[in-house]
Amino acid sequence: MIEVNNLHKHFGKLEVLKGISEKVDEREVVCVIGPSGSGKSTFLRCLNLLETPTAGEIRIEGELVTDPRVDINKIREEVGMVFQRFNLFPHMTALKNVALAPMRVRGLSEKEAYDRAHDLLKKVGLEDKADVYPSSLSGGQQQRVAIARALAMRPKIMLFDEPTSALDPEMVGEVLNVMKDLAKEGMTMIVVTHEMGFAREVGDRVLFMDEGVIVEKGTPDEIFFNAQNERTKSFLSKIL
Amino acid sequence: MSLLVSYLEHAVAVFPSLLRGAVITVEVTTFSIFFGLILGTIAAFGKLSKRNVFKLPSIVYIDFIRGTPLFVQILLFYYGIPGLVTAATGEVFRIDPIIAGIVVCSINSGAYNAEIVRAGIKSVDRGQMEAARSLGMTDRQAMKDVIMPQAVKLIIPPLGNEFIALLKDSSLLAIISVHELSKNGMLYVSKTFAAFPTYISVALVYLALTMGISRILAYVERRLGVSDRSE
Ligand SMILES: Nc1ncnc2c1ncn2[C@@H]1O[C@H](COP(=O)(O)OP(=O)(O)OP(=O)(O)O)[C@@H](O)[C@H]1O
Ligand SMILES: [Mg+2]
Repeated sequence: MIEVNNLHKHFGKLEVLKGISEKVDEREVVCVIGPSGSGKSTFLRCLNLLETPTAGEIRIEGELVTDPRVDINKIREEVGMVFQRFNLFPHMTALKNVALAPMRVRGLSEKEAYDRAHDLLKKVGLEDKADVYPSSLSGGQQQRVAIARALAMRPKIMLFDEPTSALDPEMVGEVLNVMKDLAKEGMTMIVVTHEMGFAREVGDRVLFMDEGVIVEKGTPDEIFFNAQNERTKSFLSKIL
Repeated sequence: MSLLVSYLEHAVAVFPSLLRGAVITVEVTTFSIFFGLILGTIAAFGKLSKRNVFKLPSIVYIDFIRGTPLFVQILLFYYGIPGLVTAATGEVFRIDPIIAGIVVCSINSGAYNAEIVRAGIKSVDRGQMEAARSLGMTDRQAMKDVIMPQAVKLIIPPLGNEFIALLKDSSLLAIISVHELSKNGMLYVSKTFAAFPTYISVALVYLALTMGISRILAYVERRLGVSDRSE
């Protein structure tokens, strides 16, 4: 589904990704952990080309998306992204937030888009908040709307960049539950998260990143309870 | 007592001429706001562009205008350009002062507007553009549906201040004999030497005009909901 080959990313002189190679299969849920600044966000952002890789190849369903001739917008239609800080559009209701891209990008009629948006808000448990603006929603609710917004494009892959780390602890669960449902429905997901419970329950694999490389990977239990690499162990000892 | 009476007489006598001047002032300002907004928006997007063909001319325009006095720009345009054309072609070339005034004020205001528009767009959170792009929206769609509606609310208040400044600064056009408010005051003083009552009247008419604009702007801001909602 996703195939990354020797991916490099520089910001000026700073080399943030130093050759990442990884394969994610369809329906797989991969969690990415690692210290701050290790390049987790940059890795995700390269996957939907919010950052342009400096070198290396990314294939999504066999298509080489790092080819400069490829239509970036077409790729992004298939790859949903959820951000740490939600990034909802503050001047639109929850419903409009979800309906906008299907209308503009997929060409859905207003009715079709709003119907789809209603269904998705229901799915994330927020059908009663359709007409509410983001500023009146809690963080957990905003993030659930953001997930619905990404799903409205019917993406094949969902990327989550620390979706719960900006939330108050009591709201983490509601967002993780939505994500678990999604995982169980068979969505292909790459999730940057330090939520071990989530990783163990629905994660197929965990990647540990440090200083721009994948240092260690394995099943959640292998990584969390039987890490081999010293860097992995010392990182886990700090967060667990 | 007789001084006060004579002042009042002058104020009454000069008033019709000041009103005629005020009409010119409002006319010049209105046209300049209109063209200045168009120029400013173009220059703002030019400066935000990644492409140097758009970026560099915009930067030169904005920096040149903001780095030189309006007074000098008026002189340069009204006297300098026709002089240049005459020297080059040998034909006498003159510009109507009001047209010249509108052109210079538009160009001048455009540069300030450009910075306001650009700052408004830039201060919309980066995450907004990223969210829109990550949904597959094009740059243009994201600008129109996501960025601009938020930027406009940030742009309107400083733009309003700019319009008020423009109205006041249009008094400099007196130097090229545009018969606007200040010039008509000056003409009256040159005949009567009644400087105080005339210029206080001129000042009060400007005050009335700027207060009028403020009212209109406050109304527009309320209509656009500049101060409500959205975080
Ligand atoms: N646009 C950018 N320009 C320059 N440097 C950047 C940019 N984006 C990220 N970096 C740098 O790249 C490095 C990796 O950043 P990245 O956000 O990918 O880390 P991260 O693993 O997601 O960290 P965190 O856990 O704090 O989110 C950091 O040193 C960061 O400062
Ligand atoms: Mg990050």
